[in-house]
Order: sequence, then C-alpha cells, then structure tokens
Amino acid sequence: MLKTRFFKAELETPFVLASGILGLTASSMIRVLDFGCGAVTTKSFNMEWRKGHKAPSILPFENGLLNAVGLSNPGADEMVREISQFKSRTNRPLFASIFGRTIDEFGQVAEKIVGLQPDLIEVNVSCPNVRSEFGRPFGDSPQDTAAITRLVKNIAGSHIPVSMKLGPHGPGIGLMAKACEDNGADAITAINTVGPGMLIDIDVRKPILANKTGGVSGPAILPIAVKSVYEVYQAVKIPIIGTGGVTTAADAIQMILAGASLVGVGTAVYERGIEVFHELAAGIENYMTTYGFKTIEDFRGLAHE
Amino acid sequence: MSDLMKTYPILKIIDHGPGLRSLYFEKTFEVQPGQFINLWLPGVDEKPFSVSRITADFIEVSIKAYGPFSQAIMQCQPGQRLGLRGPFGRPFSWHNNALLIGGGIGIAPLRILGDTLSQKGFNFSYLIGAVTAHELLFPEEMKRQAATRIYTDDGSLGKKGRVTADIEQILDSEKIEFVYAAGPEIMFVVLKPILDQRRLPYEFCMERYMKCGIGICGQCVLDDSGIRLCVEGPVLNQDDLKQVTELGSVHRDASGRRVR
Ligand SMILES: Cc1cc2nc3c(=O)[nH]c(=O)nc-3n(C[C@H](O)[C@H](O)[C@H](O)COP(=O)(O)OP(=O)(O)OC[C@H]3O[C@@H](n4cnc5c(N)ncnc54)[C@H](O)[C@@H]3O)c2cc1C
Ligand SMILES: Cc1cc2nc3c(=O)[nH]c(=O)nc-3n(C[C@H](O)[C@H](O)[C@H](O)COP(=O)(O)O)c2cc1C
Ligand code: FES
Repeated sequence: MLKTRFFKAELETPFVLASGILGLTASSMIRVLDFGCGAVTTKSFNMEWRKGHKAPSILPFENGLLNAVGLSNPGADEMVREISQFKSRTNRPLFASIFGRTIDEFGQVAEKIVGLQPDLIEVNVSCPNVRSEFGRPFGDSPQDTAAITRLVKNIAGSHIPVSMKLGPHGPGIGLMAKACEDNGADAITAINTVGPGMLIDIDVRKPILANKTGGVSGPAILPIAVKSVYEVYQAVKIPIIGTGGVTTAADAIQMILAGASLVGVGTAVYERGIEVFHELAAGIENYMTTYGFKTIEDFRGLAHE
Repeated sequence: MSDLMKTYPILKIIDHGPGLRSLYFEKTFEVQPGQFINLWLPGVDEKPFSVSRITADFIEVSIKAYGPFSQAIMQCQPGQRLGLRGPFGRPFSWHNNALLIGGGIGIAPLRILGDTLSQKGFNFSYLIGAVTAHELLFPEEMKRQAATRIYTDDGSLGKKGRVTADIEQILDSEKIEFVYAAGPEIMFVVLKPILDQRRLPYEFCMERYMKCGIGICGQCVLDDSGIRLCVEGPVLNQDDLKQVTELGSVHRDASGRRVR
C-alpha cells in the first residue's frame, strides 16, 4: 500500500530519513532502513572534514530540538567510502546530501559522488547554523540558489535526480522553489530547520547552545513546514520531499495533503524512537483504508482542491 | 530528570589525587548503574560521564583530567552551577557471582554497580587497575565492600602489571559466572576472546564520541551493527558485540572521521 516510486528508486514506505539524523555511516543508515524507513539521506558533507560546533550542540526542549551541530562531517572522501559500503550491502535507496562553503565547492562535492550513483543528490543551501562562519545561507538568494542548481544538475546529468533543500526563510519559499525548477532541479526538499532560535538557562543566565543559536526542528515547526510544502506545491510541478516536524501519522498525512511526494522524518526519531517508521506506516494505512485511498497519489495535494 | 538541560550547583568536591576528582550534586533523579549523564560546563563544552555513585542524597560523577573540558572541571568550585541531563543509555543487568573489572577511570561505573549488587545481596569481587596508585578510584571503599584485587602499571599499589595480567588464572580458579568490564578499549580486546572461549557471559561499558546522547546525531554508532552506543549502550553484552566489527580497531572523532 505504501510502496512508492521516486524517480528510479523503489521505496518500501514514503518516509525518508532527514539529513543530519543517523546519517554518518553505512551501518547506521542500514539500521534505520531495517526499521521501516523508505530511503535514507546522508549527513550533509563538503570536501574537507569539519568538527562542527562545541556542545551543547543538540538540545531537546518541550516541543522539539534546537541544534547547532555546525555541519560537522568527515569530508567527501570518507563519505564516499561510507556510501560505497552502503551500496555494497544493500540496494535500498540512499540520498546524498551535499553542501559547499562556496558555490564552486558544491560542484566539487557533486563530482566526487556522481560515480557512486546515489538515488538522489540533495543540495543543502539552507543550513541556518553556520552564519557566523559562512554568512547568510545561499538559500536566501534566488541568484545563488539558481547558480548552484545549474552547477550540480550539470554534473548529476539526466540519470541522477537533484533535490534542492530549502528553508522557510529568505524571499519566499515558493519563489525559491521556482528558481530551482527553472534551473533544472528535479525535486524540492522543504524544509530545513527554522530560525535560528535560542534557549537560555535561567539559572546561569546564558544561552545554552555553545553556538548560542541553533535551528529549530520537531513538533514546534510542523505548521511552518506544512505551509511551506503547500506553497511550494503551488509554485512548481516537480515533486516535494516534505520535511519538518512530522512526528505522527496525522502529521505525515498533512504533508501529503499539502503536496509532498515523500515525507522526511528527523526529530521524530528522537521524539518517538527509531521505531517511529512503523507507527507512521500503520497510521497512514489506517487512514487510507478509512477513506478508500489505494495509493499515496490518491490523496497527494488534496488540500489544494 | 530529563533530556532537557537544567543546571545544579556542585554540592561538594572530593579530590582523589592530582587530576582526579568526584563532583557531587543533589539527587534529583534516579540512575541505574552504567547509565551516563551529559555534563555542561557553561562557556566551555558538554561531555558524557558515567554516574559513579548514587545515594539517597547525592549523585556523584568522577572525572579524570585529560583535555580541555576535563581540565576545566578541575578548576570548578563548590557552588558553581553545571548543567546535567540524562540519565542516558542502557544500564548493566544484575548477576550473581560476578567479577567487576575496571581500568583507570573505567572504575567509575563499577562503583555504582558494586553498590547495587551488594544491596541485592549478590556475590562479587573487584579487579581494578590503573597506571599508578593516585589514579585508582575508590580502592579503600571497594576493599570494604568486596574482595578487591589491585594492579598498577608501576607497582605503586597492589600488584605490578596490567589489570588483565592474571585474568585467565582468576577465571579458572574461582566461581565466576558473569564478568563486567569498564575501561580503555584495549582491555575489552584482551578480555573478549578469553571470555568467549570460556563461554562466560559479560557486559562491557564502552565509550565513543557522543554529541547528542539521545540517539539522533549518529556520531556514536558502531560498525557494522548500527548500534547507537548512547541509546543501546553504553553497556553492551556478548551478543551485541558479535555484530561490532570496530572493537579495538577504529572509532570516530568529532567530525565522524575514522581514527585508529
Ligand atoms: C558513556 C561515556 C561515559 C564516560 N564516563 C566518564 C567518566 O566517568 N569519567 C571521565 O573522566 N570520563 C568519562 N568519559 C569521557 C569524557 O566524556 C571525556 O571524553 C573526557 O573527559 C575527555 O574530554 P576532554 O575534553 O577533557 O579531552 P579531549 O582532549 O577533548 O578528548 C580526549 C578524548 O576523549 C574522547 N572524547 C572527547 N570528547 C568526547 C565526547 N563528547 N564524547 C565521548 N568521548 C569524547 C575522545 O576519544 C578524545 O580523543 C565518558 C565517555 C563516555 C562516552
Ligand atoms: C541534529 C540535526 C542535524 C541536522 N543536520 C542537517 C544537515 O546536515 N543537513 C541538512 O540538510 N539538514 C539537517 N538537519 C535538518 C533536518 O534534515 C530537517 O530538515 C529538520 O530537522 C526538520 O525536520 P524534523 O522536524 O523532522 O527534524 C538537521 C537537523 C537536526 C535536528
Ligand atoms: S551521541 Fe548522537 S546518536 Fe549517540
């Protein structure tokens, strides 16, 4: 019932492990697939390894997480090794998430991984946690985002789809998505974390995150994510990986009704445990039975009618 | 307690020797032996630490000076507020006729385990070792509680040698039905084949680089098992370890790069 085709990839369920969640190693990603996730996204990586910010860098609060991991990653060479390992152990779908400190670097990282045939290249232009180092995310500028889309799509060629991962900020996510579509993007991932935000310890009277600010994820951002997907669906024809705050089956159904083809799941792996994918699947199947939907297609985007 | 950050004043500090101290906090939550907490030193960093003891009144963590974070802990004063969150991870299970093997700062989680086992009326003995006498945690308290063998690399206390020096002889001459171990990974590498050969069940309390402690960042995941050490560990048993191929060979640093 939930089997989904996304470009050439066959997903057992329409759920995608969001980038930055358990996506550092082949072993880790395979374990998540074994728990009923349909596809996994790697942690975002660039050419050179990065340690990321000091801790606390991932902080739970009542309605989600605040994180400023700082795009830590082992670098493209190490990730190439992990992706190859993954491919040698399973043929289930893997999406490679890449970023660059410069526009050129997006191209260099893409060059590194096209040979591995990831099922999708996700381009992270919207991390809100590296402002102090990189300045404003490229995803705030339609021109930069368009240039990165063209560059990566050129390298990916026609056989590897490219999804641009956008945030809810900047000049409007619909407009940004259109710039991506016009420049060759095959899909849109919406959204990244929101903010940045801040939490302060009232006893020591200091921001808790070492980076002071961090992106907000989890239940707190669901309404923003649903609205973003709704807007992107109206702006473009290409498919959407709807991500942000999905914790229950009802949340995932909202994403699909707003227009998502796949549903990204991140913080819920913490909120509900790694078993969350079974819960989501059971809930959606139940919904489909109740309303007589045979496939996800049958109710995608229905909130627009 | 909870995963949310909350700060508590240090009630008391006991210095065991240069660069080795225990911090005490008011007991505001329950902890099982083997579980850890994340300790935040505002303005510095946050790192995982085993709880080394819990009583009706306080929670104790024991810290060895190493790099920047633990050095900064050595400068802390009573009354200063540190953040605590947790407890995280899966605890030790409880068994009779056990041998508790601790190397260096790995002795910390064995202390709370020993307390629990003796409260339950179980038989056990300690086998503890460190580089030198003043790096040994709690030798006197342990001796009062159970039979305790002590080893130091330099012979300054107990027998001279590694903590595992006489392990085969000990296992073969005593009624030992379960082995717990915590300490540097090389200890597990030495112990594992010896225990497997004797079909003795065991639990090792392991360490890996941790960022979140709540099972989402992926930093602590073990090859090839996919085990998240912060959630499914830090205590792993002989069955868990069957799928762990990286024991004693690689671990990952803060960036996720493999280091040997
Ligand atoms: C489950 C667990 C329980 C621990 N219990 C204790 C304890 O009871 N007492 C104690 O003194 N230490 C304990 N540690 C180690 C402690 O978390 C720190 O690693 C140690 O204090 C060194 O940090 P540093 O910044 O001073 O040194 P650094 O120079 O920064 O690090 C020294 C080494 O410690 C390890 N390390 C550093 N940061 C982390 C991290 N965030 N997570 C895991 N490992 C890290 C790395 O292997 C590094 O090479 C435990 C670690 C884990 C994972
Ligand atoms: C700890 C953490 C790390 C993340 N790292 C990345 C990353 O490296 N690249 C990226 O594109 N998004 C990253 N994200 C954002 C997620 O992929 C996702 O877009 C966001 O968290 C919203 O979804 P959620 O509410 O389901 O978590 C991260 C999120 C969290 C919580
Ligand atoms: S420390 Fe993040 S998953 Fe274990």
